[in-house]
Amino acid sequence: MTGRTWTLLLGAGLAACACGPVETASAPPPPLGSPPDAVDRDPDPDVLHVGLVAAPAVHTVGGREIPGYAYDGLTPGPTLRARVGDTVVLELRSELPDPTTVHFHGMAVPYAMDGVTWSTDPIPPGGQFTYTFTATHAGTFWYHPHFDTSGQVDRGLYGVFVVEAPDEPPLPERILVFDAWDETPEDAPSEHAHDAALPRLWTVNGVVSPRLDVPAGEVVRARLLNASNHGFLLLDWPGMVVIAGDQGLNAEPLGPGQWLLAPGDRAEVLFRVGTEPLPIATRPYGLAGLATSPPMPPAESEGKPPAEGPSDQVLFTLAPRGTTAVAPWPELPFSGEAPTPDPGTTDIVYVLSGDGAEDTWLINGESYPDVTPESLPLGTEAVLEVRNLSSTEHPFHVHGHAFEVLSVGGRPPLTRRVEDTVNVRIRETVRLRLVADNPGEWMVHCHILEHAHSMMTVLRVVP
Amino acid sequence: MLHRRVPCALLLAALGAACAESEASREGAAPGGEEGRHVTVQVTLDGAAVADVEVRQGGGARASFTDASGRAVVELDPAVQGERVVMASHPEARIAGVPVPDEADSVAVELRRFEPVDNPAYIFQDPGLPGGPDTTAQCGHCHATLRDDWAASPHRTAASNPTVHDLYAGAVATADSQSACLTRGGKWQSGLGPGTGAPAERCYLGDGALPALNPGCDADGACDATATARGGCADCHAPGIDGALGGRSLLEATGLAYEAGVHCDTCHRTESVDLSAPPGVSGRLRFLRPSEPSTSQALGPWRPLTFGPYPDVSNVRMGSVARDFFHGATLCAGCHEDEQPALVPGQVVNPARWPSGKLPIHSTYSEWEQGPFAPGVPCPSCHMPPDPSVWNSADLQSFAAAGAGVAGGWPRPPGAVRSHGFVGPRQRAAGLLELAASLTVEKSQVGGELTVQVTVKNVGPGHALPTGEPLRSMVLFVEARCGDEELRATGGDAIPDYGGALAVKTADEGFDDWPGGRVGEVVRVVRRTGGFRDYEGFGPFGDGRFAAEEKGLPVEELAGMATILAMDGTTAIFDGPLPEGDVAYRGEAGAFPAEGRAVSARAGSPGFAFARVLVAADGRRSVPHFLAVDVASDNRLLPQRSFTTQHRFAASCAEPVVHAVLAHRAYPLALARERGWENLESVMAEVTQ
Repeated sequence: MTGRTWTLLLGAGLAACACGPVETASAPPPPLGSPPDAVDRDPDPDVLHVGLVAAPAVHTVGGREIPGYAYDGLTPGPTLRARVGDTVVLELRSELPDPTTVHFHGMAVPYAMDGVTWSTDPIPPGGQFTYTFTATHAGTFWYHPHFDTSGQVDRGLYGVFVVEAPDEPPLPERILVFDAWDETPEDAPSEHAHDAALPRLWTVNGVVSPRLDVPAGEVVRARLLNASNHGFLLLDWPGMVVIAGDQGLNAEPLGPGQWLLAPGDRAEVLFRVGTEPLPIATRPYGLAGLATSPPMPPAESEGKPPAEGPSDQVLFTLAPRGTTAVAPWPELPFSGEAPTPDPGTTDIVYVLSGDGAEDTWLINGESYPDVTPESLPLGTEAVLEVRNLSSTEHPFHVHGHAFEVLSVGGRPPLTRRVEDTVNVRIRETVRLRLVADNPGEWMVHCHILEHAHSMMTVLRVVP
Repeated sequence: MLHRRVPCALLLAALGAACAESEASREGAAPGGEEGRHVTVQVTLDGAAVADVEVRQGGGARASFTDASGRAVVELDPAVQGERVVMASHPEARIAGVPVPDEADSVAVELRRFEPVDNPAYIFQDPGLPGGPDTTAQCGHCHATLRDDWAASPHRTAASNPTVHDLYAGAVATADSQSACLTRGGKWQSGLGPGTGAPAERCYLGDGALPALNPGCDADGACDATATARGGCADCHAPGIDGALGGRSLLEATGLAYEAGVHCDTCHRTESVDLSAPPGVSGRLRFLRPSEPSTSQALGPWRPLTFGPYPDVSNVRMGSVARDFFHGATLCAGCHEDEQPALVPGQVVNPARWPSGKLPIHSTYSEWEQGPFAPGVPCPSCHMPPDPSVWNSADLQSFAAAGAGVAGGWPRPPGAVRSHGFVGPRQRAAGLLELAASLTVEKSQVGGELTVQVTVKNVGPGHALPTGEPLRSMVLFVEARCGDEELRATGGDAIPDYGGALAVKTADEGFDDWPGGRVGEVVRVVRRTGGFRDYEGFGPFGDGRFAAEEKGLPVEELAGMATILAMDGTTAIFDGPLPEGDVAYRGEAGAFPAEGRAVSARAGSPGFAFARVLVAADGRRSVPHFLAVDVASDNRLLPQRSFTTQHRFAASCAEPVVHAVLAHRAYPLALARERGWENLESVMAEVTQ
């Protein structure tokens, strides 16, 4: 597979990619491009053969130089792009000072290719490993290390993996990867509740507050990824149409206006800009949920500026270019399937517990790696019930499998949702339908990466 | 509410000394813009340099600690809003702060030790109520959200709860007239009115702590005023009784002590917690009520002294001192942990079973401490969840115009402020019960017999299920149906006596004579196998000290039941022969238990139950703790532990449907009916399969 997507993107008149370690802090909003596609070394159209190098890099964020890591010198790393059915070959060479792996988040890869260290060794410094698997499902996925995950992802090791469906029409596309750069504990505002802090330094494709140029009137498909360690995004995006979640097209499009992207979450949206720039913001959504802000008092007192609470933060600005005629919304192959009815029985209950005061995070009272694995026979259709009794929200992620959301807080979803990461709010119960169709010992964990070191367990799918 | 929009700083400006310090604090209150600026802080305690004092910028995240010379360096965070103040926090002194002037590279903070003595002359302060009169003397004037949380909490009603008073005095609050009292079989006598302490006529019926602890005290009327042994109830239920701490009568709780129960000015007067001392204000919660005379009328007669979680609160109105235990479980253990000897004079607990001479009554803290959640997941994790809607505990969002600083505090990260609603299982809207347990049903059928296995697991809390007050229980109900037909239970586990019985008989008493029996009631018969359940319970019920027999739960197999068709005197005429068995429970039929349905007598039905069963000297079971001389059994489910029951039914179809319900009950059936308390099933989990 070579060149196909670049042709599409260049045809849409995109600016050059602005990701990577170059960014201007105080100039007018910099233009934003998508991360470049990784170069496919194999001329076979049914094979994506990519080589990546993970190595130290220096990121420039908000005028600040931050030492970190990158894939091929880029954060986000090059986009891996395949079609359903393609064979994927990824050769990863590590020039990192630490061991690393690659985990293909959301993809149903064979267990040995999952990049976890439960039963396989990580890639040592200077070493390399070739991951090989078949891209079985369409959707927007991502890749990142699963060794010292919070540290290595936070340093910049992540990228998007797009698997295209043959029946979806080509559309102008943007890839938007969000990350927060002030998440590390030493930067947290309060040691008593460090994980409640709202990140203040968000980037899109590595750039602070960029400008996304889009031909006026054109319909664009944006693939969104929240790659932050613990920053939540409640996107306030007037006019967006959410067409997909973690696992490809939803059953129906939704036009919610606001959309929650928890850490590790993806979504795909269609949007069309009018004639005026449109700032896209995130609401002040932290680990404990939306921080509501009352209206500010009208006057200052005693010469002091009034205190300010948590506020919306503009992530980027949609900037219309030219006067293209208003394009019609495209026809996409939404299935229209209704959500699967909840059978009412439960096969596995996961209870999430923990508190930021002690930074202890448990699943079913256990802390990884001292956990009791649950088991499902291969082929089982199981109901997982996830309850959150802890003091923060948790994006619940299962490796190697997708699941359908049966209910959230006792209510079925508006439309059939198939995900691999679902946010569970405080005191909320989420019920999931999972078909155990991929044998292995799969990680099940919170995708707040600072929690995942302990809030992780194992689900065995046994042939 | 308009008054909430008045800036706290303006109110404090009317308070003399408070105003003076606040104004002084603002002198260096220029905005930041000094990233990386460092300030050296010299800290003295009573005039001498002091090491290991926590120093930080007010509203800032990073803490420094003083060295041997009393110096620490603080890096100012330009992102912190409002006043630029450096704070020093030492456990023996009120937190103090000084403004950092522009260009200053060093400041000095002087700490003074507070007087470490409790002051019985101090009058507990009013938290205030939502929508009530609002004065600056009330905690809720500034801490409005926390006040509102607390006002809806069970802590507020700890001293005024009528069931607590019923058990304390041996009374029935629901019988509020002489005729109603006499109809219930009570005595209408002059005693003391709860909340007033004044003479009042009340209905006295059943057991009470005062009559039990003071035998004969009711010879000439109620014990309320004559009892000399008062018990320890008020030490936790009414810690805010002014004057001497500990050993007070619950009926001394009047005014605020009665209306507010456990409130701001009780918890936040706690200087330390001594887990080896008796619960509550009898020693475990060491209160330090302000004892130093105030130099300003604006602050009241005593210089404020308040203990709380934050090391950067220097408002003189608070007089704050930081204590880490506010973040954890230790403060909760001040009351939610209690062992007691036999309280009735002349009675003792069996020293062979209880060598310490004490029975575990409330063991919530120990259950947590010995379980997988300790120490990292303490009580506040579930019972005080974050509230991201407030900027800080002083509701800065309502006083934002006052600016961030000493007077109103600094904005905290969203979610750092914890709800003060202290929700528990009986606050149904909080949904804790639904998160606590899981039910799993497996069924198999051979011929006409359906076998059902039900596993109940404590999946949620860090303590046992149920926990706390030993009157609580958790009951599992199981039924099977073919269409509309309820299948006849033929065997398997049955709900024990503490699942509720109108009467109990053993085989040698015969199962025909049922005084008080009514048409439509049922008699459920169980067989005892001779064995005992070797369950894994709390303390000696699970740590190997007790053999199965000593754990007190005989294996009872359901034998069958019959319905009373008629009563011939005290002899019941049944709709069919009663099966052979060892024990029979007279109970109620009717609708299957469901959420909000009144608790009914279900002992002997397919199911099971989990409780700590206290026994009185006369052998009565499920008694209030003040009568206890033994814990007969304690099969409550410890954290992450499960228990599987088995049930058999005569199946009349190929695909019977099994329905299992796990319910939480607040009170034993008989006690609640005697006192007229509302007693409803609270469904924790339900499976239809």
